[in-house]
Amino acid sequence: MDKLNIVQKTVVSIILATMVIIVVVPILFFLTVAFSNDVEMTQFPKRIFPSFSVTVKVAPAENGEYELFYDKGDGEGYRSIITTKNATKLENHFKRQYGVNISGEKLLEDFSATRENGPMEFTYRKDLLFNFKQFFAIVNNSSKALKNSIIVALYTILISLSIGSLAGYAMARYNFKFKETINVGMLIVRMFPVVGISIPMAVLLIKFGLFDTLIGLAILYSIPNIALTAWITSSIFIGINKELEEASYIFGGNGFNTFMRITLPLAFPALAASSMYAFLAAWNDTISALILTNENQTLALVVYKAIGTTSSGIQYAAAGSVILILPALVFTFIVRKYVNQMWGGVEL
Amino acid sequence: MSNVKSIKSQKKFSSSIINKKSIPYLLLLPAFIYYAVFWLAPVLAGMVEVFTDTNGNFTLTENFKLMFQSELFDKAVMNTALFAAVSVVLQYFIALLLAVLLSRKFRGAKLLMFIAMIPMAITPTAVAILWKTGLIKDGWLNSILMSLHLIKEPIVFLNAEGLAAVFLIILIDTWTVTPSVMIILTAGLQGIQKEFREAAYTFGANKWQIFKDITLPILKPSIVTSVILRLIAAIQVWAIAVMVLGFSKVPFLVERIAFYVDVVPGVATSEKIAFTLSFTTTIIVLLATVIYLKVANKKPSKGGNR
Amino acid sequence: MSYLVLKDLEKRYSKNGPLIVNKMNLSIEKGEFIVFLGPSGCGKTTTIRMISGLEEVSGGDILIEGESILNKKPRDRGVSMIFQSYAVWPHMTVFDNIAYPLKLKKVPKDEIKKRVYAAAEAADITALLDRYPAQMSGGQRQRVAVARAIVVKPKIFLMDEPLSNLDAKLRVSMRTELKNIHNKEHSTTIFVTHDQSEAMSLADRIVVMNKGVIEQIGTPMEVYHDSATKFVASFIGTPPTNFFSVKLESLGNELFAVSKGFKYKINKEIEGPLKAYLNKEVDLGIRPEFIGVSLDGKKDDSYLCDATIEFVEPQGTHSILITHIEGEEVKIMTTEYMDIRPNTRVSLYVKDGKAMFFDKETTKRIK
Repeated sequence: MDKLNIVQKTVVSIILATMVIIVVVPILFFLTVAFSNDVEMTQFPKRIFPSFSVTVKVAPAENGEYELFYDKGDGEGYRSIITTKNATKLENHFKRQYGVNISGEKLLEDFSATRENGPMEFTYRKDLLFNFKQFFAIVNNSSKALKNSIIVALYTILISLSIGSLAGYAMARYNFKFKETINVGMLIVRMFPVVGISIPMAVLLIKFGLFDTLIGLAILYSIPNIALTAWITSSIFIGINKELEEASYIFGGNGFNTFMRITLPLAFPALAASSMYAFLAAWNDTISALILTNENQTLALVVYKAIGTTSSGIQYAAAGSVILILPALVFTFIVRKYVNQMWGGVEL
Repeated sequence: MSNVKSIKSQKKFSSSIINKKSIPYLLLLPAFIYYAVFWLAPVLAGMVEVFTDTNGNFTLTENFKLMFQSELFDKAVMNTALFAAVSVVLQYFIALLLAVLLSRKFRGAKLLMFIAMIPMAITPTAVAILWKTGLIKDGWLNSILMSLHLIKEPIVFLNAEGLAAVFLIILIDTWTVTPSVMIILTAGLQGIQKEFREAAYTFGANKWQIFKDITLPILKPSIVTSVILRLIAAIQVWAIAVMVLGFSKVPFLVERIAFYVDVVPGVATSEKIAFTLSFTTTIIVLLATVIYLKVANKKPSKGGNR
Repeated sequence: MSYLVLKDLEKRYSKNGPLIVNKMNLSIEKGEFIVFLGPSGCGKTTTIRMISGLEEVSGGDILIEGESILNKKPRDRGVSMIFQSYAVWPHMTVFDNIAYPLKLKKVPKDEIKKRVYAAAEAADITALLDRYPAQMSGGQRQRVAVARAIVVKPKIFLMDEPLSNLDAKLRVSMRTELKNIHNKEHSTTIFVTHDQSEAMSLADRIVVMNKGVIEQIGTPMEVYHDSATKFVASFIGTPPTNFFSVKLESLGNELFAVSKGFKYKINKEIEGPLKAYLNKEVDLGIRPEFIGVSLDGKKDDSYLCDATIEFVEPQGTHSILITHIEGEEVKIMTTEYMDIRPNTRVSLYVKDGKAMFFDKETTKRIK
């Protein structure tokens, strides 16, 4: 009943291939930008894969100077860029423009070969991490922001998991009055637009003296995440056979003991998933960080500010973004099977 | 003697009842306190802010007037509505199409799923940068278009205004969201018992009829749930607009909030406007959810014929 | 002319994969109630799906009223199917569920109403027409599936283990109802099950299948008393047939079935074909009800051996006695010695000469 003929199969393959291309190509270009040096940023058309090295052509010039040519790849061949014999100038030029770390003296040494042989081409390895280093050097607060993001994320996990898993356990194992109301309440909190809380929250935090602190941010991020953790953990607690806990009681365990030694370890996947969501919520957010911090910014916020309105230096912001998206990609890969349920894609 | 004993054991009995009954409430207590202090209080405080003027006196409409008159507010509302409606419809339409194609098993499906989840996993801030690198005059988008000979001159995307700008944001958002929605719908499709479709097939339904009469109606609840979440997120769009095109170029509700927080903070009226905006946005989200649920869950009154 | 014919029917799922259905040949007459019986994986469901058009045929042909139906869509084949899970659509009312096939055929509204009511009456669910499947029990949903299958007035009913998901009591009562409906509608039915007592109760003829191959086609009595292969003898009947590995030896002028635990003199009547297996190993099968018990040391021609009764399971109308011969468990069904105590030493004999012999290689019955 479900068999497709050859034509239909081909059409399906084409459509799927197109989708993959549309998703992957922009990402590849973006990654290349993150690894591009200044000159490459001015090149057109753009490369899809990063280059690992830089090639320059050097010709000897008068007064012991050297003329540097660079091929921009736009069909016009080598263009003259700079003429000098100053080692420092050369070193800075190579560093800034090409992202190549090499001493000016070494360059002059290499170039001296052109005195005998005429114009030559020289290829140097690019420092691939140049943009990343630049990002942390140039962008305000960036290394601090990286640390901040990690700390805030960890706080969020701590708060969400501790409060949330207790709540999840209560919802899973007990039937009590108001259970339905609480269920609905948690749903509301989970879906509540964050902007509705962030601004009043700022005022509250100021009162508590927690404005512009990492713990303040973590408090905000935990709001939907506690409910989320409760939801995720309650599902898995329900799945854990009550008899496993009852066996522990028979053999002398009390409630707390049982919870720590039997239930919690069995609920590990749920805890892992909840930690992941809590981490990402804290790591990825920009608007709340914008509202709730001044000095103690998170990485996401710093990257947002780095973009500015001009497009120069965008490769550094791109490098920063790569760092920003790394955890999310890793987590997504690990839990790719379970993401569906979060989105309510499967009606239970 | 026996009286004392029985009273003692009764006490023990009843205190253990109290304990057992109260356990769930005890477990939920931390969460309650947390939400009372950090959710309820701010929400209420926010509402109070909206209804007090800059001098601290109660006002019903003063702040709303400020908001309505604020720069670009009407455009922001329009754009937000347009964006939310168009992007959700577009994305679900495409995603459904792809999901139907994808719901057959084939090699590499798992890898495909992972690739499809990537755009959504990238935080909007990074997505904005990703696309900005492409949309600048010498960015890779023009690069591709020109090498495919689709255009002769590079397009200056970043100068887009008005509707064109909104559509640009819609396209970027669609790139981000559609693959993930496709995965959700695929999961939903696969969750439908094969025999439902087979039964229809044995009774003579063709592929289109099976889709329209069996698959789609059964899938509806999952679609409705995920659309709500998408809608809520769409109403709060801002980062892409600000980072790619800049503040005030393509106003959205939350973009305006960010504007008043980031660009003109410190002015008393800005604060009030920001509060009112966030209050209004929340109300709009709530309203949208309620209206959507009502419309989506209306059971068509066919069949029965009694 | 036979109503439905399967000719050398074959099914495999991959080019060089195993044959799920292996050269099946079967002729069914109009009005017959045929049961495909066999363990899971025997190919019975695959066969019925090929008849319905849900699975492609890898080899052979299927003919209805003389015409090959391989190229026809299910609807055009005139078959109707009831699925094991009922496949009652959850988003439609019972009425809409039953009406859907007619809607597809563009039957006018008032005729749909009439026919749906008629089908609902036949399946006894007229009171449920407004309900949704989620509000009904498994048994009720099953009836909806039945009504839906009836309403199109098919040539052939295909039922894929329709009773397997019901509880024991319901299963037995629904059995009779299904047979009733079959009779009233004068239909031709193919019923798939793994439950041999269900097959025995319902079938005009049983097709016993194992590993894609037909072991025997016959009436319930035939497959029970005249089992064609070792598999059929072991699958049909509860408790199952007892099997012993024996060697046929000639002692004096008599043919004996000899094993470590006993020497059984073979009845003159069935001796003939067995002579060809002299000095060879064969399988001996005796049904529990045909092993007789005697406390008086009776050792006549039908004597099997002595044994100690280890367990007694009283069933009311009979008792099942369990013992071991040569380390193998043997079950005996008795109506005479229902109260016998465990650990009683008894003599066992074969009643009415009802011993079945099977060729060890072909597994076919030697007769």
